[in-house]
Amino acid sequence: MAGLSPSERRLQKELMSLMKEPPPGVVVDVDLAEQNILQWIIQMEGVSGTLYEGEQFQLQFKFSRKYPFDSPEVTFIGANIPVHPHVYSNGHICLSILTDDWSPALSVQSVCLSIVSMLSSCKEKKRPPDNAFYVKTCNKNPKKTKWWYHDDSV
Amino acid sequence: MSTSASPAEPSASPPEPSTSGNSSQKEGAGEEARDDRNFECNICLDTAKNAVVSMCGHLFCWPCLHQWLETASARQVCPVCKAAISREKVVPLYGRGSSDQQDPRENSAPRPSGQRTEPDGSLFNGFGLGDNSFHLSFGIGAFPFGFFTSTFNLGETRPSPAAMGTPQHLEEQFLSKIFLWLAIIFIAWLLLA
Repeated sequence: MAGLSPSERRLQKELMSLMKEPPPGVVVDVDLAEQNILQWIIQMEGVSGTLYEGEQFQLQFKFSRKYPFDSPEVTFIGANIPVHPHVYSNGHICLSILTDDWSPALSVQSVCLSIVSMLSSCKEKKRPPDNAFYVKTCNKNPKKTKWWYHDDSV
Repeated sequence: MSTSASPAEPSASPPEPSTSGNSSQKEGAGEEARDDRNFECNICLDTAKNAVVSMCGHLFCWPCLHQWLETASARQVCPVCKAAISREKVVPLYGRGSSDQQDPRENSAPRPSGQRTEPDGSLFNGFGLGDNSFHLSFGIGAFPFGFFTSTFNLGETRPSPAAMGTPQHLEEQFLSKIFLWLAIIFIAWLLLA
Protein backbone atom coordinates (compact mmCIF):
# COMPACT_ATOMS: atom_id res chain seq x y z
CA MET A 1 0.00 0.00 0.00
CA ALA A 2 2.99 2.24 -0.28
CA GLY A 3 2.73 5.29 -2.48
CA LEU A 4 -0.95 5.82 -1.83
CA SER A 5 -2.28 9.10 -0.58
CA PRO A 6 -3.82 9.03 2.92
CA SER A 7 -7.34 9.13 1.51
CA GLU A 8 -6.67 6.26 -0.90
CA ARG A 9 -5.03 4.27 1.83
CA ARG A 10 -7.99 4.66 4.10
CA LEU A 11 -10.45 3.85 1.29
CA GLN A 12 -8.51 0.67 0.51
CA LYS A 13 -8.80 -0.36 4.14
CA GLU A 14 -12.50 0.40 4.18
CA LEU A 15 -13.02 -1.56 0.98
CA MET A 16 -11.28 -4.57 2.46
CA SER A 17 -13.34 -4.50 5.65
CA LEU A 18 -16.58 -3.91 3.71
CA MET A 19 -15.78 -6.95 1.57
CA LYS A 20 -14.98 -9.06 4.61
CA GLU A 21 -17.74 -7.95 6.97
CA PRO A 22 -20.47 -6.14 5.06
CA PRO A 23 -23.53 -4.95 6.97
CA PRO A 24 -26.56 -7.14 6.16
CA GLY A 25 -28.05 -6.39 2.75
CA VAL A 26 -25.11 -4.27 1.61
CA VAL A 27 -22.79 -5.31 -1.23
CA VAL A 28 -20.03 -3.18 -2.67
CA ASP A 29 -19.03 -3.45 -6.31
CA VAL A 30 -15.40 -4.28 -5.65
CA ASP A 31 -14.16 -4.27 -9.25
CA LEU A 32 -15.54 -0.81 -9.89
CA ALA A 33 -14.12 0.51 -6.63
CA GLU A 34 -10.72 -0.94 -7.39
CA GLN A 35 -10.70 0.72 -10.81
CA ASN A 36 -11.41 4.07 -9.26
CA ILE A 37 -11.05 4.12 -5.51
CA LEU A 38 -12.70 7.54 -5.34
CA GLN A 39 -16.05 6.35 -6.69
CA TRP A 40 -17.97 3.38 -5.36
CA ILE A 41 -21.28 1.77 -6.21
CA ILE A 42 -23.07 -0.08 -3.45
CA GLN A 43 -26.06 -2.37 -3.78
CA MET A 44 -28.51 -2.10 -0.95
CA GLU A 45 -31.40 -4.38 -0.15
CA GLY A 46 -34.60 -3.28 1.54
CA VAL A 47 -34.72 -4.93 4.95
CA SER A 48 -37.40 -7.58 5.31
CA GLY A 49 -40.22 -6.58 7.58
CA THR A 50 -40.00 -2.93 6.49
CA LEU A 51 -41.77 -0.94 3.78
CA TYR A 52 -38.83 -1.53 1.45
CA GLU A 53 -38.75 -5.30 1.74
CA GLY A 54 -37.61 -6.97 -1.46
CA GLU A 55 -36.53 -3.71 -3.14
CA GLN A 56 -33.03 -3.17 -4.52
CA PHE A 57 -31.31 0.21 -4.42
CA GLN A 58 -28.03 1.52 -5.72
CA LEU A 59 -25.97 4.02 -3.81
CA GLN A 60 -23.16 6.02 -5.30
CA PHE A 61 -20.32 7.26 -3.12
CA LYS A 62 -17.94 9.90 -4.44
CA PHE A 63 -14.93 10.75 -2.33
CA SER A 64 -12.75 13.80 -2.55
CA ARG A 65 -9.01 13.86 -1.98
CA LYS A 66 -9.73 15.30 1.43
CA TYR A 67 -11.63 12.22 2.60
CA PRO A 68 -12.11 11.40 5.49
CA PHE A 69 -11.94 15.01 6.59
CA ASP A 70 -14.44 15.87 3.90
CA SER A 71 -17.69 13.90 3.75
CA PRO A 72 -18.41 11.66 0.76
CA GLU A 73 -21.05 12.66 -1.75
CA VAL A 74 -23.75 10.01 -1.40
CA THR A 75 -26.75 9.67 -3.71
CA PHE A 76 -29.16 7.00 -4.79
CA ILE A 77 -28.77 6.20 -8.48
CA GLY A 78 -30.35 3.81 -10.96
CA ALA A 79 -33.91 2.93 -11.76
CA ASN A 80 -35.21 2.48 -8.24
CA ILE A 81 -34.89 5.53 -5.99
CA PRO A 82 -36.53 4.73 -2.65
CA VAL A 83 -39.72 6.67 -2.00
CA HIS A 84 -38.95 8.18 1.40
CA PRO A 85 -39.65 11.55 3.06
CA HIS A 86 -35.91 12.28 3.11
CA VAL A 87 -34.97 11.05 -0.34
CA TYR A 88 -35.61 13.27 -3.34
CA SER A 89 -36.59 11.72 -6.64
CA ASN A 90 -33.20 12.68 -8.11
CA GLY A 91 -31.50 10.49 -5.50
CA HIS A 92 -30.37 13.23 -3.14
CA ILE A 93 -30.59 12.27 0.53
CA CYS A 94 -31.34 14.66 3.37
CA LEU A 95 -29.19 13.15 6.10
CA SER A 96 -27.19 15.27 8.52
CA ILE A 97 -24.15 13.01 8.77
CA LEU A 98 -23.55 13.56 5.05
CA THR A 99 -22.82 17.25 5.57
CA ASP A 100 -22.99 19.11 8.88
CA ASP A 101 -22.59 16.19 11.23
CA TRP A 102 -19.93 14.37 9.25
CA SER A 103 -17.00 13.12 11.26
CA PRO A 104 -13.82 11.45 10.01
CA ALA A 105 -14.53 8.55 12.34
CA LEU A 106 -17.56 7.70 10.22
CA SER A 107 -17.06 5.32 7.33
CA VAL A 108 -18.78 3.97 4.24
CA GLN A 109 -20.05 1.20 6.43
CA SER A 110 -21.53 3.51 9.03
CA VAL A 111 -23.11 5.69 6.34
CA CYS A 112 -24.67 2.59 4.76
CA LEU A 113 -25.95 1.53 8.14
CA SER A 114 -27.47 4.96 8.74
CA ILE A 115 -29.21 4.89 5.39
CA VAL A 116 -30.51 1.36 5.96
CA SER A 117 -31.88 2.40 9.33
CA MET A 118 -33.34 5.61 7.88
CA LEU A 119 -35.23 3.55 5.31
CA SER A 120 -36.22 0.87 7.79
CA SER A 121 -37.77 3.27 10.28
CA CYS A 122 -40.00 4.82 7.61
CA LYS A 123 -43.71 4.73 8.39
CA GLU A 124 -45.14 6.00 5.13
CA LYS A 125 -43.68 5.91 1.64
CA LYS A 126 -43.83 9.42 0.27
CA ARG A 127 -41.51 11.98 -1.28
CA PRO A 128 -40.36 15.07 0.59
CA PRO A 129 -43.00 17.83 0.43
CA ASP A 130 -40.77 20.13 -1.65
CA ASN A 131 -39.60 17.42 -4.02
CA ALA A 132 -40.75 18.95 -7.31
CA PHE A 133 -39.26 22.35 -6.54
CA TYR A 134 -36.00 21.00 -5.15
CA VAL A 135 -35.36 18.61 -8.01
CA LYS A 136 -35.87 21.44 -10.51
CA THR A 137 -33.63 23.94 -8.75
CA CYS A 138 -30.93 21.99 -6.93
CA ASN A 139 -27.26 21.66 -7.74
CA LYS A 140 -26.07 18.34 -9.09
CA ASN A 141 -23.95 17.90 -6.00
CA PRO A 142 -26.13 17.37 -2.91
CA LYS A 143 -23.33 18.71 -0.72
CA LYS A 144 -23.97 22.14 -2.24
CA THR A 145 -27.49 22.11 -0.82
CA LYS A 146 -28.00 23.92 2.45
CA TRP A 147 -30.03 21.24 4.15
CA TRP A 148 -32.39 21.88 6.99
CA TYR A 149 -32.35 18.99 9.39
CA HIS A 150 -35.56 19.20 11.33
CA ASP A 151 -36.87 15.68 11.69
CA ASP A 152 -35.00 13.70 14.30
CA SER A 153 -37.48 10.88 14.40
CA VAL A 154 -36.52 9.09 11.20
CA MET B 1 -13.24 -31.96 24.92
CA SER B 2 -14.29 -35.46 24.13
CA THR B 3 -14.80 -35.27 20.37
CA SER B 4 -12.30 -32.74 19.16
CA ALA B 5 -9.04 -34.16 17.95
CA SER B 6 -7.03 -31.00 18.07
CA PRO B 7 -3.34 -31.65 18.37
CA ALA B 8 -3.02 -28.93 20.94
CA GLU B 9 -5.48 -30.63 23.27
CA PRO B 10 -3.57 -31.95 26.25
CA SER B 11 -4.31 -35.67 26.01
CA ALA B 12 -3.21 -38.70 27.95
CA SER B 13 -0.01 -38.96 26.00
CA PRO B 14 2.10 -35.84 26.30
CA PRO B 15 2.01 -33.88 23.04
CA GLU B 16 5.16 -33.39 21.09
CA PRO B 17 6.71 -30.08 21.98
CA SER B 18 6.93 -28.95 18.35
CA THR B 19 3.19 -29.29 17.70
CA SER B 20 2.06 -27.45 20.78
CA GLY B 21 4.59 -24.74 20.17
CA ASN B 22 3.31 -24.17 16.65
CA SER B 23 -0.30 -23.92 17.62
CA SER B 24 0.30 -21.48 20.43
CA GLN B 25 2.34 -19.34 18.08
CA LYS B 26 -0.55 -19.21 15.63
CA GLU B 27 -2.94 -18.22 18.35
CA GLY B 28 -0.53 -15.54 19.43
CA ALA B 29 -0.42 -14.08 15.92
CA GLY B 30 -4.21 -13.90 15.73
CA GLU B 31 -4.39 -12.17 19.05
CA GLU B 32 -1.73 -9.75 18.01
CA ALA B 33 -3.70 -8.75 14.93
CA ARG B 34 -6.76 -8.19 17.09
CA ASP B 35 -4.69 -6.23 19.59
CA ASP B 36 -3.39 -4.07 16.77
CA ARG B 37 -6.92 -3.12 15.84
CA ASN B 38 -7.42 -1.79 19.34
CA PHE B 39 -4.68 0.72 18.67
CA GLU B 40 -5.89 1.94 15.32
CA CYS B 41 -6.32 5.63 14.82
CA ASN B 42 -10.02 6.42 14.50
CA ILE B 43 -9.32 8.59 11.47
CA CYS B 44 -6.76 6.89 9.22
CA LEU B 45 -7.55 3.37 10.50
CA ASP B 46 -3.83 2.60 10.71
CA THR B 47 -2.02 1.82 13.92
CA ALA B 48 -1.81 5.20 15.59
CA LYS B 49 1.47 7.03 15.09
CA ASN B 50 2.39 9.89 17.39
CA ALA B 51 -0.63 8.74 19.29
CA VAL B 52 -2.78 11.04 21.33
CA VAL B 53 -5.86 10.21 23.32
CA SER B 54 -8.75 12.56 23.95
CA MET B 55 -10.31 13.16 27.35
CA CYS B 56 -13.19 10.99 26.20
CA GLY B 57 -10.71 8.17 25.64
CA HIS B 58 -10.50 8.02 21.86
CA LEU B 59 -7.23 7.30 20.14
CA PHE B 60 -5.86 9.18 17.14
CA CYS B 61 -2.63 9.89 15.34
CA TRP B 62 -1.78 13.43 16.25
CA PRO B 63 -1.38 14.48 12.59
CA CYS B 64 -4.85 13.08 11.82
CA LEU B 65 -6.54 14.74 14.77
CA HIS B 66 -4.72 17.99 14.11
CA GLN B 67 -5.96 18.02 10.55
CA TRP B 68 -9.52 17.44 11.74
CA LEU B 69 -9.27 20.24 14.29
CA GLU B 70 -8.06 22.51 11.51
CA THR B 71 -10.85 21.40 9.17
CA ALA B 72 -13.59 21.83 11.71
CA SER B 73 -12.12 24.74 13.57
CA ALA B 74 -15.54 26.20 14.28
CA ARG B 75 -16.87 23.08 15.93
CA GLN B 76 -14.14 21.19 17.72
CA VAL B 77 -15.64 17.86 18.69
CA CYS B 78 -14.31 14.35 19.05
CA PRO B 79 -14.82 12.54 15.73
CA VAL B 80 -16.02 9.45 17.55
CA CYS B 81 -18.32 10.68 20.30
CA LYS B 82 -18.72 14.42 19.60
CA ALA B 83 -17.50 15.42 23.03
CA ALA B 84 -15.77 18.77 23.17
CA ILE B 85 -12.12 18.43 22.30
CA SER B 86 -9.18 20.79 21.95
CA ARG B 87 -5.47 20.79 21.41
CA GLU B 88 -4.86 21.42 25.09
CA LYS B 89 -7.13 18.62 26.18
CA VAL B 90 -5.47 15.67 24.47
CA VAL B 91 -2.88 13.48 26.09
CA PRO B 92 0.03 12.07 24.12
CA LEU B 93 0.78 8.39 24.56
CA TYR B 94 4.42 7.51 25.01
CA GLY B 95 5.09 3.83 24.50
CA ARG B 96 8.36 2.30 25.48
CA GLY B 97 11.10 3.17 23.06
CA SER B 98 9.00 5.65 21.13
CA SER B 99 9.40 8.77 23.20
CA ASP B 100 12.35 10.39 21.54
CA GLN B 101 12.29 9.07 18.01
CA GLN B 102 9.85 11.63 16.83
CA ASP B 103 10.16 12.04 13.11
CA PRO B 104 9.65 15.60 11.96
CA ARG B 105 6.11 15.25 10.67
CA GLU B 106 5.10 16.81 7.33
CA ASN B 107 3.91 20.20 8.27
CA SER B 108 1.57 19.42 11.08
CA ALA B 109 1.98 21.09 14.40
CA PRO B 110 4.07 19.40 17.06
CA ARG B 111 2.20 17.00 19.23
CA PRO B 112 1.05 18.55 22.50
CA SER B 113 3.23 17.49 25.34
CA GLY B 114 2.11 15.59 28.37
CA GLN B 115 1.11 17.49 31.46
CA ARG B 116 2.77 16.35 34.63
CA THR B 117 1.68 17.38 38.06
CA GLU B 118 3.67 16.44 41.09
CA PRO B 119 1.84 14.09 43.40
CA ASP B 120 0.19 16.25 45.97
CA GLY B 121 0.20 15.52 49.71
CA SER B 122 -2.76 17.66 50.58
CA LEU B 123 -6.12 16.08 50.00
CA PHE B 124 -7.90 19.37 50.09
CA ASN B 125 -7.74 21.00 46.74
CA GLY B 126 -9.44 24.30 47.17
CA PHE B 127 -12.86 25.66 46.52
CA GLY B 128 -12.08 26.44 42.94
CA LEU B 129 -10.63 29.81 43.81
CA GLY B 130 -7.10 29.09 42.80
CA ASP B 131 -7.82 27.93 39.28
CA ASN B 132 -9.35 31.00 37.77
CA SER B 133 -12.82 29.68 38.17
CA PHE B 134 -13.97 32.61 40.26
CA HIS B 135 -14.88 35.69 38.29
CA LEU B 136 -16.38 38.93 39.35
CA SER B 137 -17.25 41.60 36.89
CA PHE B 138 -18.88 44.97 37.14
CA GLY B 139 -19.93 46.99 34.18
CA ILE B 140 -20.99 50.54 33.47
CA GLY B 141 -22.31 51.20 30.02
CA ALA B 142 -20.67 53.94 27.98
CA PHE B 143 -19.41 55.59 31.13
CA PRO B 144 -18.43 59.16 30.30
CA PHE B 145 -21.26 59.83 27.91
CA GLY B 146 -24.06 59.14 30.32
CA PHE B 147 -22.33 61.38 32.79
CA PHE B 148 -22.00 64.25 30.34
CA THR B 149 -25.49 64.06 28.99
CA SER B 150 -27.14 63.93 32.39
CA THR B 151 -24.99 66.44 34.22
CA PHE B 152 -24.00 69.13 31.77
CA ASN B 153 -27.04 69.99 29.76
CA LEU B 154 -25.22 71.50 26.86
CA GLY B 155 -27.08 73.35 24.17
CA GLU B 156 -30.24 73.20 26.22
CA THR B 157 -33.30 74.76 24.63
CA ARG B 158 -35.93 73.50 26.99
CA PRO B 159 -38.27 76.04 28.62
CA SER B 160 -37.40 77.20 32.12
CA PRO B 161 -39.32 75.66 35.04
CA ALA B 162 -42.72 77.03 35.90
CA ALA B 163 -43.01 79.66 38.59
CA MET B 164 -43.41 78.63 42.25
CA GLY B 165 -46.95 78.02 43.49
CA THR B 166 -48.58 77.71 40.08
CA PRO B 167 -50.57 74.51 39.49
CA GLN B 168 -48.07 73.61 36.77
CA HIS B 169 -45.25 73.79 39.30
CA LEU B 170 -47.11 71.51 41.72
CA GLU B 171 -47.80 69.07 38.95
CA GLU B 172 -44.16 69.01 37.98
CA GLN B 173 -43.11 68.47 41.59
CA PHE B 174 -45.56 65.59 41.84
CA LEU B 175 -44.29 64.00 38.62
CA SER B 176 -40.72 64.45 39.72
CA LYS B 177 -41.46 62.67 43.00
CA ILE B 178 -43.13 59.79 41.20
CA PHE B 179 -40.11 59.39 38.97
CA LEU B 180 -37.77 59.58 41.94
CA TRP B 181 -39.63 56.78 43.69
CA LEU B 182 -39.74 54.79 40.51
CA ALA B 183 -35.98 55.11 40.21
CA ILE B 184 -35.48 54.08 43.84
CA ILE B 185 -37.73 51.06 43.44
CA PHE B 186 -35.97 50.12 40.23
CA ILE B 187 -32.53 50.33 41.82
CA ALA B 188 -33.70 48.36 44.84
CA TRP B 189 -35.08 45.72 42.53
CA LEU B 190 -31.79 45.60 40.65
CA LEU B 191 -29.88 45.11 43.87
CA LEU B 192 -32.23 42.48 45.29
CA ALA B 193 -32.89 40.46 42.16
